[in-house]
Amino acid sequence: MGRLLNVKRFTLGASAGLLALIGLLPLSVMVAYSFIADGSIGVRHYVDTLGRTRAWTLFLNSIALATFSTIVALAIGVPVAVLIAKTKMPFRRLITVCFSVPILIPPYVLATGWFEILGRDGLVSRFTSPSVGEMTSSWLFSLPGAVLVLSTAFLPVILLLSLASLRGVNPTLEDAARLFCGWPLVLKRITIPLALPGIWLSLVLVFLLAMGEFGAPSYLRLSVFPVESFTQFSAFYNAGAATAASIPMLLVVAIGLLAGSRLLREGTHYFRWAGSQVTPHHISLGRFAPLTSALVLIAALVLIVAPCAALIWRGFSGTAMNSALLQATDSIAWSLLYAGIAASGVALLGFFLAYASQRRSFAKWLWIDGLTLFLFAIPGTVIGIAAIVTWNHPLTGWLYASPAILILGFAAQYIAIGTHGIAAGLAQFSPSLEEAAEIAGAGWFRRVATILTPLSKTAITAAWLLTFIFCLRDSSLSLLLSPPGRETLTARTMTLMANGSPDVIAALCLISMLLPVIPLAIFGIAVRIVRKRA
Amino acid sequence: MIEFAGVSKAFESKPVLSAFNLKIDQGERVVLQGPSGCGKTTILRLIAGFLAPDQGSILIRGKIAASNARICIEPEKRGLGYVFQDLALWPHMTVFENIEFPLKAQSVSAAERRQRVAEMLGRVDLDGLGDSYPTRLSGGQQQRVALARALINRPTVILMDEPLSNLDEELQAALTDQILRLHTEFAFTLVYVTHSKEEKRRLATRSILLRGGGAVED
Repeated sequence: MGRLLNVKRFTLGASAGLLALIGLLPLSVMVAYSFIADGSIGVRHYVDTLGRTRAWTLFLNSIALATFSTIVALAIGVPVAVLIAKTKMPFRRLITVCFSVPILIPPYVLATGWFEILGRDGLVSRFTSPSVGEMTSSWLFSLPGAVLVLSTAFLPVILLLSLASLRGVNPTLEDAARLFCGWPLVLKRITIPLALPGIWLSLVLVFLLAMGEFGAPSYLRLSVFPVESFTQFSAFYNAGAATAASIPMLLVVAIGLLAGSRLLREGTHYFRWAGSQVTPHHISLGRFAPLTSALVLIAALVLIVAPCAALIWRGFSGTAMNSALLQATDSIAWSLLYAGIAASGVALLGFFLAYASQRRSFAKWLWIDGLTLFLFAIPGTVIGIAAIVTWNHPLTGWLYASPAILILGFAAQYIAIGTHGIAAGLAQFSPSLEEAAEIAGAGWFRRVATILTPLSKTAITAAWLLTFIFCLRDSSLSLLLSPPGRETLTARTMTLMANGSPDVIAALCLISMLLPVIPLAIFGIAVRIVRKRA
Repeated sequence: MIEFAGVSKAFESKPVLSAFNLKIDQGERVVLQGPSGCGKTTILRLIAGFLAPDQGSILIRGKIAASNARICIEPEKRGLGYVFQDLALWPHMTVFENIEFPLKAQSVSAAERRQRVAEMLGRVDLDGLGDSYPTRLSGGQQQRVALARALINRPTVILMDEPLSNLDEELQAALTDQILRLHTEFAFTLVYVTHSKEEKRRLATRSILLRGGGAVED
C-alpha cells in the first residue's frame, strides 16, 4: 500500500516538476535575464526599453487594441449568446457554428481574409474605385482594422463562455421571478446577473488574448508590445530589451487573472442545477423570430463568412493550391506532427495535473491551476523568448536546435486546456469509484488505466482536440521556435507573406483554415460509428 | 378558484396527466400526494403558467389561463405565490431584496416597499436578517424567506412544492404552524405537494391522491 502510494505521489510530483520545468523555469530565467546587462545586474534594459516614449505608446496601443476588441466582441457575443440560450430563434445551431468558426482560424488568416476585401486591390476596390480601396486599406491597416480582426477572432471565447454561463443558471431561479414580471426584467435582474461571473471571465480572457496577440497586429503593421518584443528579439537579437519589453505583459496578465479568479470564485455558487424535472424555458420572440434570426445571420455572414469566402475566392484555384502545396507540403506534415505530439503530451501531463488539482493531492494545488492559466494567458512571444533564453545553452543545445523546443513551448502555453478540461471531466464522477478499485487491491496505474481514463475519456479527447487546434493556429511560438527547414505551416505562410504571390498566400491561408477540420471530422466520424454500434 | 378541465400533459410522449379534472375553491388548503412522477409538480407548474396543457383547459378565477397547448395568461399576470422545492432564493440578492423584488416588479413606491418588507420580515421571524444573503441562512430561515417572498404581494393562491422536505421534524412542525397562521391571516388558497403524512394531517382541508396520470381520490 505504502509503495503504491509512493508511485502515485512520485507520478504526480514528477508531473508538477515537469510543469515547473517547461513553464516556470523559462519564465524565471527570462525575468532574471532581463536584469543582466553587460555581465552585471541592473535595470539598464528596463531603462532603455521602458524609459522611451515609444514604449508607452506601444503599451497604450496594446491596451487600446485589447480594450476595443473586447468591447466589440462583448457587444456582439453576449446578445447573440442570450438569443441562442434563451430563445427559440430559428437557425440557432447554424448561428452558433458560424460564430464559433474563428476559434479554428489563426487571427492572421482572418486578417488576410479582410485584406482580400478591404485591401488596396481588394473586392471593395474592384467593385467601387481605387480611391475607395486606398481608404479601406488604410482603415484596415490601423487600430480599427486590427480591432475588427481581433474582435471576430476572439468572439467565440465570449460567445461560448457566455452561453455556458447562461445555460448554467438554475431555471427555477428564473421561474421564481417570472411569477412577478416579464422576461425583459427577468433577464435584467436574474439571468444576466447570475451569468455575469462567466461573462466577466470571458472578457478578461479576450482582453488578455487580444493584448498578447502577435500574428494579426504584425500582419496589419500595428505597433503593439508583442510585435515589439518579437522585433527586438528576431530582428535586432536584443534579448535583454525583448525580455524587458515582455515584463509589462506578464504584469498585465497577472492582474487580469487575479481579477478573473476573484470574479469566478464569487460567482461559483450561482451555478446550481435545479434537477432533472425543471427544463429551461425559452422566450418567445413571436413574429420577430425570423427577423432576429436574419439579422444575426447577416452579422455572421459579414463578420465571419465574408473574410473566409474572400480567401476562398482568391486562393481556391488549381494553380494557387498546387503552388501552395508544392511550397508547404512538408510544413503541413510538420505542423500536424508537432501539434499531435504536443496535444498528446498536454493530454498526458494534463491528466496527472488535473488529478492532482481536482483531488487536492498537493497542499499547493491552487498554484498548479494558477500557473497553467498564467501560461495560457501570456503572449506566445513571451513564452517563445523565455524558452530561447533558457534552452539556448551549450548543455541544452540539442533541445534548442530540435523541434522539441517548439513542442515544449506549445505544451507550456496550452497545458491549461489539458488540466482544466480534464479536471472538469474528473469532477463528473465520484472519487469513491476509484476508492472501490483501490480497496479491491488495484494499484495506482491500474486504477488510472481501468477506472479513471475510461471514465474521463471524453474530457481527455476534447482536451487533445482543442490543444491540437490551438497548436495548429499558433503563430508567435511557431515563428520564434520552429527549427530552420522544419517550420510549421504558419511560420512558412507568414514568412512567405513578405514577398509571396497573393494567390499562393491566400491558398496557404485556406489550407491553414482547413487543417484543424481534419481531426474534427475524424472525431465526428468516430463518434458516429461508436454511437451506431452502441 | 382553480379548475382543471380535461387536462392532459405528456413529456417526451410519456403521459403524466390524462383528461385530468380538479376544482379547488377559494381558501381551501389542498394537499397533493402520490408516487414520484405521478404529476404533482406538473399540476403546480401548470397552475403557475410555466407549462401549458397539451389538451384541456385551466381556469383561474373563472378565466381561461391556458388551453390546448397555449398560455393565455402569463405567469406574472396570474397573481400567484410559489414556494419551490429548492426554494429558488436569488443568491445575488439579500433577504430584503429577495422579498422586495415582487413589489419592485409591480412598481410599488420605495417607501411602501421598505415598510411592507420590514413588516413581512417581522411576520416570518426574520427581523434583523434583511441584509444577509440567503446562502448565509439556516434551512429554516431560508424557508421563511421563500414564504415571505411568496406572500409579499398578497396573492390569492400559494403553491408549495415539498417546501419542508429537507428540514428536520421539529422545524417541519414549527413551519407548518407558521403556514397555518399565515393562511388564517392572509386567507389564501393553498395547493401543497408533499410526501409527508404528518404535513398532510396538519395542513390539509382536503387531500388528493394522484395515481396513473389522473385517478384522483379525495
